[in-house]
Amino acid sequence: MITGILTSALLLWTPLAIAAMGGLLHRVGGVVNIGLEGQMLVGALIGALVSGATGNWALGVLAAGAAGGVVGLLMSLCVTRLGANEIIAGLGFTIVLSGLIGYLLRSVFDVSGTLRVTGLDPLPRVLGLDPLFLLAVVLVPVIAWSLRNTAAGLRLRATGDGFDAATALGIPANGIRDIAGTIAGMLAGIAGSHLVLGQVGLFNEDMVAGRGFIALAAFYFGRARPLPTALACLLFAVFDATQARLQTSGVPAQLIQTLPYLVVIAVLTATAVRDARGKSRRAG
Amino acid sequence: MSVFQGSNPGKYSRALTRVVRAAVPFVIALGLGGIVLLATGHNPLAFYQLLVREAFGGVDRIAATLSAATPLLFTGLATAIAFRAGVFNVGVEGGFVFGGLIAATVALQAGLLAGMVAGALAGVLVSALPGWLKARWNVDEVVTTLMVNFVVAGVTGWLVTTFLQAKGVANSATALIPQGSWLPDLLPPYGLTAGVLVALALVVLYAVWIKHSVLGYELRQTGLNPRFSAAQGIRVGRVIMVSMLISGAIAGLGGAVHALGVVHRFVDGFSPGYGFTGIAVALLGRNSAVGVALGAVLFGALASAGTTAQLFSDIPLDIVDVLSGTVMIFAVVRLWRQR
Repeated sequence: MITGILTSALLLWTPLAIAAMGGLLHRVGGVVNIGLEGQMLVGALIGALVSGATGNWALGVLAAGAAGGVVGLLMSLCVTRLGANEIIAGLGFTIVLSGLIGYLLRSVFDVSGTLRVTGLDPLPRVLGLDPLFLLAVVLVPVIAWSLRNTAAGLRLRATGDGFDAATALGIPANGIRDIAGTIAGMLAGIAGSHLVLGQVGLFNEDMVAGRGFIALAAFYFGRARPLPTALACLLFAVFDATQARLQTSGVPAQLIQTLPYLVVIAVLTATAVRDARGKSRRAG
Repeated sequence: MSVFQGSNPGKYSRALTRVVRAAVPFVIALGLGGIVLLATGHNPLAFYQLLVREAFGGVDRIAATLSAATPLLFTGLATAIAFRAGVFNVGVEGGFVFGGLIAATVALQAGLLAGMVAGALAGVLVSALPGWLKARWNVDEVVTTLMVNFVVAGVTGWLVTTFLQAKGVANSATALIPQGSWLPDLLPPYGLTAGVLVALALVVLYAVWIKHSVLGYELRQTGLNPRFSAAQGIRVGRVIMVSMLISGAIAGLGGAVHALGVVHRFVDGFSPGYGFTGIAVALLGRNSAVGVALGAVLFGALASAGTTAQLFSDIPLDIVDVLSGTVMIFAVVRLWRQR
């Protein structure tokens, strides 16, 4: 039972972690990305369609990343160039994308919600692990290292820590945010393709089911640091795997599903209380 | 502030500016929706004509539009009050859903009025924690209110499949409320309930209260500049708390009206995102009473017309989400450079 939960938790961890790493980069650049949910949904659909059309999982994953990246860039442009509120833009994009995908499913593909793609090429598995799991495992240390040691990472952190100061120093802060938003969209798109190609094998318009928001919860929980964020994803994936297993034994699944969100409220509160205490101590 | 104000800061040009600003997101949305319709082989102009006819062509259609606008009046107003105080409350959806469940449950035992009161109190309960955390510890309310929505969805989903589930009902729903406890219909053949009157009364009350009461003044000042307000002697924390509690009460009352007037019970999937559309309503209406009323009617028209248009053409209702989401994104953007 325990190994069963761990195996399925690792499978559930992969998309969460990839999407959360994208959201983390955007967060480090100073933007809270609420649009991950919609970007994952786009990635899932495009990944399914391209994998089915070409019979090649890798092309499916790449196309999913590209589609997510385009959406991420558009969303970022609304925020950086048009002054849209990042929360509203994120929610709005998610509503538009789920509406658009529902519309296309019903009017172009003539299905109601679930799309079976013929010739879909699922992710290959080596010892039960798929390539996107490896991507997630590699991404965590690479992002952690890049944020500390590369010029791009330092510029991204400068943009997030002091937008005006960074601009004054000649860093193209808006452009950097756009790049971070694009990468966040790409990673969310790839994460979405994992839901189809690595887990379910077909597309459903409700299949993301709040995972974009759980990814958001994870990088808040991890305070936008890669390793803690990845561990938060693992915790949430274990919750998810456990509730799926315990569903028949009378444990209220819906209540377990609320745990990630409660954890985020608790973490934000603890952080704010600590900040307030620290400030008053310095003042006294 | 706008392009027109520099030359002539008169009353009419400001009103014109407001109208133009509110129209721009709609024009963009209709354009984008038109592209989607064209690309899928439909005639956008014919579809938009059908929408207008289905939304306003005849007493029955107007009743349907107002009926669809009612929940949005509540959620839009609830959002606007919090926004006015500078509190970014995106948790109205949670208050609406929880209010609906509690109202439907209480009305089963204690009747209409008790159900409405209980619904409002349930909404207060949902907004109290994020409000207090913001007022006391300055915890980011955007994230906490967003998270509370998911917590409420889980808790109500659990309650409605366990303790509160009606006996002998296969899907997750509470028992049907007896007809004596329903909100009365206004125009009997059409499903427009007295709930719309409650909503409109609240909108009028809000218009007067925000302009002519001390608390309304403090709310506006806090929204404009919390530090200056604190220096003026306004207790900012208290104002934030009050705005969140009122916002929650209105959200919960909206859920109660929806449960007691339209659904007559609580079912899983009770709200198709009324709270989130309420954000778009508040933004488009710039948090003013008139703006919220107009915004709610517009989005209500989209929803009611979209539902019947789906029957007459083979255009799925989902196109309405594309339109309203686009309005939401562009409701707050700057389309011209500011000096």
